[in-house]
Amino acid sequence: MTMFLGCAHQDENVVRIGAAGPMTGDQSKMGMDLKNATELAVAEWNEKGGVLGKKIILVAGDDQADPKQAVSIANKFINQKVVALVGHWNSSCSIPASKYYDDANIVMISPATTNPQLTQQGFKHVFRVCGTDDQQGRAAADFVLKKLHPRRVAIIHDKTAYGQGLADFFKKALGNKVELVYYGGIIQRDPDYKAVLTAIKENKPDIYFFGGIYPEAGRLVRQAKEVGLDIPMITGDGVYDPTFISIAGPAAEGTFITFGKEPSGLATAQSFMKNYKAAYGNPGPYSIYAYDAANIILTAIAQTGTTDGTKIADYISKTTFHGAFSDISFDKNGDVTKAPYVIWVVQKGKFVEVQ
Amino acid sequence: MFTQQLINGLALGAVYALIALGYTMVYGILQLINFAHGEVYMLGAYLGIIILGVLTYLGLTAYSLPLSLLVTVLGSMAFCAAYGAAIERIAYRPLRNATKLAPLISAVGMSIILQNVVMLSQGKEYKNLPPMLPSEGFTIFGANISPVQIFILIASILLMIVLHLFVAKTRLGKAMRATSQDRVMAGLVGINVNQVISITFMIGSALAAVAGVMVTLYYGVVHFFMGYLAGIKAFTAAVLGGIGSIPGAMLGGFVLGLIENFCASYISSVYKDAFAFAVLIITLIIRPSGLLGQKSVDKV
Repeated sequence: MTMFLGCAHQDENVVRIGAAGPMTGDQSKMGMDLKNATELAVAEWNEKGGVLGKKIILVAGDDQADPKQAVSIANKFINQKVVALVGHWNSSCSIPASKYYDDANIVMISPATTNPQLTQQGFKHVFRVCGTDDQQGRAAADFVLKKLHPRRVAIIHDKTAYGQGLADFFKKALGNKVELVYYGGIIQRDPDYKAVLTAIKENKPDIYFFGGIYPEAGRLVRQAKEVGLDIPMITGDGVYDPTFISIAGPAAEGTFITFGKEPSGLATAQSFMKNYKAAYGNPGPYSIYAYDAANIILTAIAQTGTTDGTKIADYISKTTFHGAFSDISFDKNGDVTKAPYVIWVVQKGKFVEVQ
Repeated sequence: MFTQQLINGLALGAVYALIALGYTMVYGILQLINFAHGEVYMLGAYLGIIILGVLTYLGLTAYSLPLSLLVTVLGSMAFCAAYGAAIERIAYRPLRNATKLAPLISAVGMSIILQNVVMLSQGKEYKNLPPMLPSEGFTIFGANISPVQIFILIASILLMIVLHLFVAKTRLGKAMRATSQDRVMAGLVGINVNQVISITFMIGSALAAVAGVMVTLYYGVVHFFMGYLAGIKAFTAAVLGGIGSIPGAMLGGFVLGLIENFCASYISSVYKDAFAFAVLIITLIIRPSGLLGQKSVDKV
């Protein structure tokens, strides 16, 4: 009891910022990327004297990619009077936890949750700095319609919320402009996709879309070549991983992927890249998003001169921020106004941006 | 499309058949479902990647691909054979005269241990192997047969013939058949029953190792969890063919591979696994002794 009281009587000379994500278990790398990037931003601000003349303290919450844990982290953050947080990672965690943060006037910025539902709940305090699956599906469909001009399209997905969601948004964005000749799911972890690929081949599409993650995508393109299905695959950010190319080998060539720009080439990202590498090694694909999210929060606190979540959220929703990755401004839902997606293609065993 | 699905199904079936042989041989001798058998297959697949990696590092794959494949298959077979015999020695032999359920539980435990050992030592991530053989093969009736598929079909059929000859013609094969008919009597007439059982486990495990290496070459991806589903599918194949019957396991493997492929392509790819297990349930209801199994008189 005394310990609990001790916690409740924390001195008010600090500002608490949360970082929440899966920091143990299967996806721990993702959660640690998020925490490290937030930590880096906080350390940089503290070096300059903190915010509002107070020291910034990072509070980490490990949700283990489990929705129940995510809610208990939310309650923990509320008790600890966290002003704002960077997180969560998974759609299945961000969505249930967001309600608690919104009720408690805590600003939440997710660096990686792409499921559109997160920002469609009417919550004033909830933002994200990454794109959404419907923006991504639209980006893929735009590219396909403008550059590849297919007449017949096949779509497959891995039956997960992410994969099927993305496939459905792609399908919706295509509309009636092409003929959909095949739509179906595959089983994750199933080693053999030749049956479904042969069925797709029979329908003679010009391209096929896959909503899912790199291990399945790698096997799909590899086996597609083996059954003589020689058409390009279009797929999403879940496939942007070097492992995809090593699984698929030469069969990966010509696969199109929607993903953000590569930060290493951006002038604004150089100092982030250098400092992150020095402290934690190579940044993950979403580290820079978490870093920008943390900076947005701290900038908003500094500019509004308050730790009142509602005022901070108000400021965030009206301002354009110059992040390390890109300039970020939010629409009325809390989504980024400019989806950061570009098209990548696999060429000679490397991801190359399509100009 | 029909020809292509036929070839895909046969290649998949050959893999199931090789694993199913291990189930059926062990069952034939001990009336034990060796649930750790799927993990031996998984081990074989990991060994395939490891050995091929070492050979590539040494430059042998660049020098001669067939030779390095042979070395890989033999290496993986030898290792898994030792593993299979060790599993039998540690987990089953001490329980041989216990109640029938005890070795079964021991088998499930062994399977969990092996999975976790591989997970802890090799990691939870998928391990992958870049394609070693070209993906473009021959075209027959509009269907593409890749070199890996040819390798799988030839190697598995060859192994099945060798196994059949071994069991039917050699002294040791005769001892195996005798042991499976009556373990006590076989011991009384001078057969070293423990040795025969060990050898059965070794052969079964070696065949699973070949299946593992083939799958590694075929799909290019291994995972510590892969033995679980493949094991259950192969078990289904063994039951379908008639558990305890060696030709039954071969037939069951091919039939299951074909059913899976045709159902996945003509009905729904999402329910591919469900079709395989529907086969298991239907077999158990309609013909529990399987396609080639004989109605056995319960010995107990």
